[in-house]
Amino acid sequence: MVLMLGLLGLELVRAQVSTVANGLLMHLSLLFVPVGVGVMTHMALVSKYGWQLFVALVLSTWIGLLVTAVVFRALLRAEEAPSS
Amino acid sequence: MTDFVQLWVYLSTTPLFGLTATLVIYASAQTIYQRLDQAPLANPVLWTVVILACVLTISDTPYPTYFSGAQFIHFLLGPAVVALAWPMWERRSELRRRAVPLLLSALAGGVAAGASAVAIAWVLDLPADLIRSLAPKSVTAPVAMGIAEQLHGIPAMAAVFSVLTGLIGAISAPYLFNVMGGLSAQGRGFALGTASHGIGAARAMQVNVDAGAYAGLALGIQVVLSAILLPLAARFI
Repeated sequence: MVLMLGLLGLELVRAQVSTVANGLLMHLSLLFVPVGVGVMTHMALVSKYGWQLFVALVLSTWIGLLVTAVVFRALLRAEEAPSS
Repeated sequence: MTDFVQLWVYLSTTPLFGLTATLVIYASAQTIYQRLDQAPLANPVLWTVVILACVLTISDTPYPTYFSGAQFIHFLLGPAVVALAWPMWERRSELRRRAVPLLLSALAGGVAAGASAVAIAWVLDLPADLIRSLAPKSVTAPVAMGIAEQLHGIPAMAAVFSVLTGLIGAISAPYLFNVMGGLSAQGRGFALGTASHGIGAARAMQVNVDAGAYAGLALGIQVVLSAILLPLAARFI
């Protein structure tokens, strides 16, 4: 991805990339399906600790989302305040 | 009817089965998702995975057989993550100006997600190797597996936790953000990319291109931060 950002400095590369990139990104969620189906092969271990794992995953994801969103909002509000 | 059975028998012995089944089911799930105005609970990844898992179980198809076809889709995941550089490029001056606040938000969110997962798992008395596999859950599955290996966790479980985290974020984040209120599309995307990697970014991308660009940036930052910080943190614990 870092290399890609560098290459995008070239006009020639840019024109080609925009079509392909937008096409791929429109269907980004499809690409996660094969890995997702792989979850079923580990159902034994997952269901053994089912509710504990569920609680840990759900709560930590919410905490991650909220902390990022709150810090983002606070910092960017501070950044935009002097100019407006 | 016998034609159909013969076709099914033929398809199920070739790699085409996994590929065809994935595409057909995803296309249907996507159509329903659009009909329902992109309701978070109708998430196409979730329903495609659930239906495919049922199909494989009922038809007694082992996962490796399915994957021999589905790998053609899986292969595109790498280029697609690279393609996330495109929306970032289009907003490069804006992102450069905001570099410091963005890095700080990513760091705060990433640490909060990883640390809370480990802490909750520890309180609930989960085995140590599962706790180690939970730590890198905020990054995309292939990277999470690599980090879990370094932490002496179980790479396969790290992939499972990563996918589930992505789904939980993509489904619940819109409700969470609405409760919070006053959050821009960029903030929504950035939080989704930080806490729910590519599956969250895919959701952000469908709702708003601007949110998608910030989600792509966030998941990229999270990969770098996790790969550096998690093995370091594990050394001190």
